[in-house]
Amino acid sequence: MTNSCYPIAGGKFENAGSASRRLKEQLKQIGVDGRIMRRIMIAAYEAEMNVVIHACKGNLWVRFDRDRFNMEVIDEGPGIADLELAMKPGFSTASAEAKQLGFGAGMGLPNIKKASDLFEVDSHVGKGTRVRSTIYLKNQPAEQSFRRGLAVEEERCTGCLECLKACPTRALRVWNQRPHVLSSLCIECTACIEVCRWGAFKIPDTSSSNPPEQTAMEAHTLVIPRAFLTQFGSKIPPRAVLAALRSLGFKDVRYTEEWEKELRRIVRCYAAQQEQQPVISPICPAAINLIESQFPSLIPQIAPFVSPIEAAVEAWSTETAAFVSACPSQHTLLEHSGLSGRFRILNPADLSARIFPQLRIEAGTPCSNQKRNARPVRSKNQNHGVLEAWGVKNVVEILEKAEGGLAGDFQVLELSCCENGCYGTPVFDENPFMAEQRWSASGLERCRAVSVMSAKRPYLARTGMRLDPDMGKAIEKLALIEELTTSLPGRDCGACGAPSCSSLAEDIVLERRPSLECPFAPEGKDP
Amino acid sequence: MKLEELVEAIDARVLQPGGRRTTEIARVFAGDKMSALLEQAGPQTMLVTSLANSQLACVAEIMDCPVLCLVDGAEPDPNLLEAAARCETVVVVSALDMFEACGRLHRRLYGDDFQRS
Repeated sequence: MTNSCYPIAGGKFENAGSASRRLKEQLKQIGVDGRIMRRIMIAAYEAEMNVVIHACKGNLWVRFDRDRFNMEVIDEGPGIADLELAMKPGFSTASAEAKQLGFGAGMGLPNIKKASDLFEVDSHVGKGTRVRSTIYLKNQPAEQSFRRGLAVEEERCTGCLECLKACPTRALRVWNQRPHVLSSLCIECTACIEVCRWGAFKIPDTSSSNPPEQTAMEAHTLVIPRAFLTQFGSKIPPRAVLAALRSLGFKDVRYTEEWEKELRRIVRCYAAQQEQQPVISPICPAAINLIESQFPSLIPQIAPFVSPIEAAVEAWSTETAAFVSACPSQHTLLEHSGLSGRFRILNPADLSARIFPQLRIEAGTPCSNQKRNARPVRSKNQNHGVLEAWGVKNVVEILEKAEGGLAGDFQVLELSCCENGCYGTPVFDENPFMAEQRWSASGLERCRAVSVMSAKRPYLARTGMRLDPDMGKAIEKLALIEELTTSLPGRDCGACGAPSCSSLAEDIVLERRPSLECPFAPEGKDP
Repeated sequence: MKLEELVEAIDARVLQPGGRRTTEIARVFAGDKMSALLEQAGPQTMLVTSLANSQLACVAEIMDCPVLCLVDGAEPDPNLLEAAARCETVVVVSALDMFEACGRLHRRLYGDDFQRS
């Protein structure tokens, strides 16, 4: 992964194109395929010229991933009043000077869109314009690469099998005392991280995804879950952690909960106008993954908005920003939200290690001077139509009820897979309730206006569950699995490495691994 | 077709020889809109245009286009020649107007077969 930034000067036609030229040098070094290179260069040059023609200054931010190229061009300029009109081929507001040079044909934005696999333009009049483009380096991003928020440190596994029982979607196997994640089934909740005492599961390291010179966390804005500030015990209050973060160079620290709060508000308004209830609030991306893979019939009930962390990525800014994900599902969303080189993803553990030397123990109890501001842990939910629930078992149970039509008396379901929402992510050590109380007592809560966006892509059923792309074959396989399952002891002991006898039967039929067998299969019935 | 043959067909003057006079040219694209030139430029394409500013060299460079042909006897921006020299792009200029130049190039490339383009 590589991040780069190329500045663009507005109004200077002599030097125009230099950002694109430098980008091309980089593409050549990476060895990007010629046809992909053409598309990237068309998008980059058009976007660069838009800045030169219309704005005072701007930046071209790029990020290369294993399978995609993300570009973001942000300028400080007049902005675009009517985006729809600007996207129309032939419409241009370029100056006579630009037109004389052959620019201003009104093909810029349409050309970028044509060259891109994913394209987005956003503009604020009087502030500037932001163009985002993603181009896949291979024909399509590999399915595998879509789920990589959960990293496994195999050598830590002791084969205790706790994770098999905890996984709500039976996505885990322990083969040869090594955990394996079936990524097509994994919903990236935190159940396995939570139960594994040995720390075999975690959010991927981010040091490898940021080039060495950039690991120095040089970002203007830091976006963290509030819980991060409350992880350092009773003697180091959130305020002190905040000060330590600022001393690392972050000018502005923001919290994902700012967007979460706004999302809750907006979804409650949205739900009031919906006929089909309950409406599901996309607060927790893991809960949404669960619905997409296990409860597809509930997909139309998901409110069409992006999750809080995606909304934070969309927030208007020309500054660099770093994000701390609280769980695997957030990590994946960040990886796939088309982040340009303007952004970094930080692992909470890396950040903790970084600020540790800066932390100062404060005299007195951390909350003593804040008592007047102290709030109750959670203001009692006054709206009886809103069901707030957490914990992956509860989430599964509630979704089962909702699917069966037994939750129609609730307007909104606000479900989080971790206990007490993001305060309970096992990525953090502190008890979720102590963590929240410390935050409430810190008096750091401020109200900043934020906005939540509509979902960019529809929520879709995930095909990972299917036994075979061909339905006929899938039916045959299902019959085989059922037959095989009945021949197994049915103890669901996990000794074979699969969470249940039916999972073992599935693994055998789908040939997920050679020579799988039940250690307790009765004589003569051995599969 | 060799670049030299096309240059000869339109009586063009070579202003910046670049390094690739014997380059094989497979197609010609003519236009005065930068966006269209950008989209159509390629490693075997000759761009014909009545523009003459230095951004042409940039487009040629980033799209690996080997040759720029200016028509109407256009006086190229000195920066264009400088930039073209840096990226070894050939720049030729023809006194013919766009219509005439394109007609001759088309004939040389495809003969009398006007269906092809």
